[in-house]
Amino acid sequence: MRPENYEAQRQPPSNEYELNFGPNHPGIEGNYALKVKLHGDVVIEAKADGGYLHRGFEKLMEQRLWIQNIALVPRICVPDPSPMELCYSMAVEQLCGLVVPKRAQWIRVLQLELSRIAAHLFTFGGHAATTGMYSTMYWGVTDRDLLLDLFEEFTGGRVYSIYNIPGGVRRELPPGFLLRVTETLDYIESRLPDYDNLFFKNQVFVKRAKGVGVMTREQALAWGVTGPNLRATGLAFDVRRDDPYQIYDQLEFDIPTEESGDAWARTLVRRHELMESIRILRQVVDALPDINGSIRSPIPNPLAWNVPAGETYTRVESSKGELCYYVVSDGGPKPYRVHVRGPSSMHAVQVLEKLSVGSRIEDIAQTMFSLDACPPEVDR
Amino acid sequence: MSQEIAHWLDNLLEEIEGIEIRRKSSRRVRVDVPADALPALLELLQGRAGYIHLSAISCVDWIDDEEFELVYHVWSYENHSLVSAHIRIAREPGVYLSVYDLYQPAAFFERDIHEMYGIHFEGSPNMDKFILTEWDGPPPMLKEFDSEAYINEHLSWQEYNPPWLQALIAEGGGVVIPPEEQRFSRKKS
Repeated sequence: MRPENYEAQRQPPSNEYELNFGPNHPGIEGNYALKVKLHGDVVIEAKADGGYLHRGFEKLMEQRLWIQNIALVPRICVPDPSPMELCYSMAVEQLCGLVVPKRAQWIRVLQLELSRIAAHLFTFGGHAATTGMYSTMYWGVTDRDLLLDLFEEFTGGRVYSIYNIPGGVRRELPPGFLLRVTETLDYIESRLPDYDNLFFKNQVFVKRAKGVGVMTREQALAWGVTGPNLRATGLAFDVRRDDPYQIYDQLEFDIPTEESGDAWARTLVRRHELMESIRILRQVVDALPDINGSIRSPIPNPLAWNVPAGETYTRVESSKGELCYYVVSDGGPKPYRVHVRGPSSMHAVQVLEKLSVGSRIEDIAQTMFSLDACPPEVDR
Repeated sequence: MSQEIAHWLDNLLEEIEGIEIRRKSSRRVRVDVPADALPALLELLQGRAGYIHLSAISCVDWIDDEEFELVYHVWSYENHSLVSAHIRIAREPGVYLSVYDLYQPAAFFERDIHEMYGIHFEGSPNMDKFILTEWDGPPPMLKEFDSEAYINEHLSWQEYNPPWLQALIAEGGGVVIPPEEQRFSRKKS
């Protein structure tokens, strides 16, 4: 979409016009574009245009050692990096037959759910900003920062923690850390009524989001929609419960759903999920002190590590939906192939294109943010 | 997936000729089929066994065998199991059928594979470039494409030494550390 590659074309007189929505636009998540055709302010056609964040991860991963890729994978999705680490680590563990110690599995869930809360707060912030409610954005980003403080303390990295490695996790939790997790959870829980009043029950948001970007359950299933977007159409499906990994099958949590399938329902599902994540984290905080043992199983010298030949498909529930890795090893020191299937590859492309048609230009941002599309995950 | 459903699924899949079924775990099934039998297999899985969700299509370039492997991962919301159907197609000419009429998400994956591996999917709704819009080199995910060699061949390293940086370095600052001082230079001083 560089200007020098496009020549102005003389068209017959018409009421229709084309508009480039993005790649730099406050109504677009990340660097991403929609080429929209409009009649007045109603969208009659939308074409997604990606590639602005393509960094060639899949190719890079074929050129790096198994252990080096740990530093690459979280960068694929900036707002919610932890599931990426886990999904890759799980794949290597399955190929090697590594058994992850119980304590490491619990710590991983702690990291994943903290990451989910951080990602949801970030999304609420961005979504609120599209309706002009910048206070919610400042709140969301500020409260997310408290979680990043926790990440910094126990992993050493604020955004990209690079904490999961095949076989377990890198470090033991610092002394008194669980206490600080509880304090942060208490604080975030105490903030939720304020968020409700400022954003979720705010008529500015409700009127802008209700009835926008509606999809039925049948459409969602046919379009490959997953995660909170699918649950907003009434189907209670969650990889954590229905295809459990780590210790999710030992935890109690509900799967919030909504029926209306619009932007409002999708956001509300995330709001309820925040509460469920807090509930999961409280269980983890209660259980962790009694789970002793090592935090990782021994792995061979990582610089001379030949992972046995084979292939595996791992799947986790990220804050955006179903995240999968297809990893192939030919028995060598580097992966033969890694395919990353991010949930946004459906949400940001076909689903966004379809839901935008018929809506008004100002509702595109509502649709995109309510789908929680993550362009770096599409481009990889 | 319960034993009963697993047994039923095995019976169903055996209708396909040349099929090889491997149960990897309670919720993962690997199926190898000849390429021409895949549409029938997917139709069966979707229509009669409830595998309505196409999770992904993965492509692997087996350059030594002169073949591409395509893997179709389908999930059933009812059985809670994932079937990965593997096929091999010849690397030349690298043409296969689209499964878009069965699974709409295929459109994205097929477009992506076309862009990255050059495989053409007949019947796919859109084979235009998506990520590599301004790329005119070979499909970059092919094994013979060496990205480092491509860079060395097509791009040149440039010295970056603007006046403002020179001024900074003259004052003892800047981001550039001379090569001879690069390691442990700060400790020495």
